[in-house]
Amino acid sequence: MEIDYRLERPLKLHARLMVTGLTVLLGESGSGKTSLLRALAGLLRASGRPFDGLRPEERRVGFLPQGYALVPHLTALENVALPLAGREARAEALRWLERVELAPLALRRPAELSGGERQRVALARALALRPRLLLLDEPTSALDASTREAAVDLIERVVRAEGLPTLLVTHDPYVAARARSLAVLEAGTVRQQGDPEQVFARPATLGIARLVGFSNVFAGRVRRHVEGGVEIATGEVVVYAPTKTPPPPDAPVHWGVRPEEVMIVRPDRPLAGPVARNRLEVQVRRIVRKGLAYTLRVEGPLALDVTLPRHVQDRLRLAEGDRIEVALKPRYVHLFSSEASS
Amino acid sequence: MTEAFLLSFRLASLTALTLLVLGVPLAYALVFKRVPLKPLLEAVLLLPLTLPPTVLGYYLLVLLAPEGVLGRWGLDWAFTFQGIWLGSVIFSLPFALTAFREAFQAVEPEVLEVARTLGLSTLKRWRRVLLPWVWPGLLSGTLLAFAHTLGEFGVVLMIGGNLPGETRVASIYIFDLVQALEFEEAARAASVFVLLSFVLVLGVRFLEARWRSITGSNAR
Repeated sequence: MEIDYRLERPLKLHARLMVTGLTVLLGESGSGKTSLLRALAGLLRASGRPFDGLRPEERRVGFLPQGYALVPHLTALENVALPLAGREARAEALRWLERVELAPLALRRPAELSGGERQRVALARALALRPRLLLLDEPTSALDASTREAAVDLIERVVRAEGLPTLLVTHDPYVAARARSLAVLEAGTVRQQGDPEQVFARPATLGIARLVGFSNVFAGRVRRHVEGGVEIATGEVVVYAPTKTPPPPDAPVHWGVRPEEVMIVRPDRPLAGPVARNRLEVQVRRIVRKGLAYTLRVEGPLALDVTLPRHVQDRLRLAEGDRIEVALKPRYVHLFSSEASS
Repeated sequence: MTEAFLLSFRLASLTALTLLVLGVPLAYALVFKRVPLKPLLEAVLLLPLTLPPTVLGYYLLVLLAPEGVLGRWGLDWAFTFQGIWLGSVIFSLPFALTAFREAFQAVEPEVLEVARTLGLSTLKRWRRVLLPWVWPGLLSGTLLAFAHTLGEFGVVLMIGGNLPGETRVASIYIFDLVQALEFEEAARAASVFVLLSFVLVLGVRFLEARWRSITGSNAR
């Protein structure tokens, strides 16, 4: 389904994207993701295709807001039966609850269900509408890590089985990675859409790069063209980046490297080849434990975030204040298009 | 005594019913709709809360007198049952309105919006979503208005005076008895009042608990 929507309030937004299967729209909070969904559901004034001019009651668009919006005084079954009519309503509602593996809890009220279970009730209710389009607003934001995975699994499975065009908005890169198609909303427009892998590997702009996890991004200038790529000067640092479309010499560019892809050079294992070029002497400023990994802040000619798996840190035993050498493998150094300079 | 209590009941029932019909749409609009000059409107509606009953009664008496602004338009209701009914409605409006508003405020607008996307018409949304959610609050507000009117004295006395069978309600009846030093009859009437008020307050408390169990159930 092709979507082309314009909003004026509460913010200016023009979104054009294709919704095929599970399509994820990634964007920072405040970028207008929720407003776009509300507009598609007919709850916010907007113009565009499809559904132009139809009232929410006439659109047959399933909308799952962040809070799920279950009716508190109705049971799970009655909630799912809301869009249904006729004598078969209860039986059909039960079938939808079975689809989300919640039939045994059919007679419970929302207050007696966990967050994940409420979400599944809301999903079953939206499906019972037999919608032409399904909208999910931040479905994982209120769930803990273990429920989150199960929730995305279920959504993916149901959406695929029903062949239902689904637009899921999130700022969670984990969810984005599971999409069939990934679109990124930035500055009031869809800046990039494609395969999640492609978007993650080649973010079109600086903002998208940050959104998908590039935190080490720098401004620089093309120093000269070299075999298979360019040399970029950032301050006194010269970094080699491979590219098939080198920007002209002296052009301002942005380049970045993911914290997971910064290597720490061990003194006992010297590096060879092109890697030897992108080496920096730095000092460890801060070490923060994050789940099963550590995030290091290192400073030298450049300040970088470095993510270190626990087993690596257990071996290296780095401490704040240590002087170390890091390497930026050229294949992980990514050049961003110049339009991203804003 | 029976006559006075029956009159009080008639007045309180009519007032509560009027407030239900008038107050529910008003409260709904104040909570869910964009109303111009909302703070000003709310202040005017809640004014009787702080106004001495005699002041409100005085203005109504002046307006409803045969040569008053409203009296000249056919509403010469001074010293009539209609007069004390109008006074009671205005005087109890803040109580009922506050209770109704609280009931609607507990409703998440998002639930109503999603109900629209599920294809439910306005009528169905009221019947299946909104009313089952708010009815205890609406009923408790109505009961409050009823109880409040039952105990009404100042406004009724100012507008209605003391006409047996027309405006002499139970509270004024007791006042009269005490003035005439008939303490035995006054004591009996007063004890009926205590009993009535107790039952009413108990009922409101019960509804509030029931209402909380509905709205509380939506906690995430």
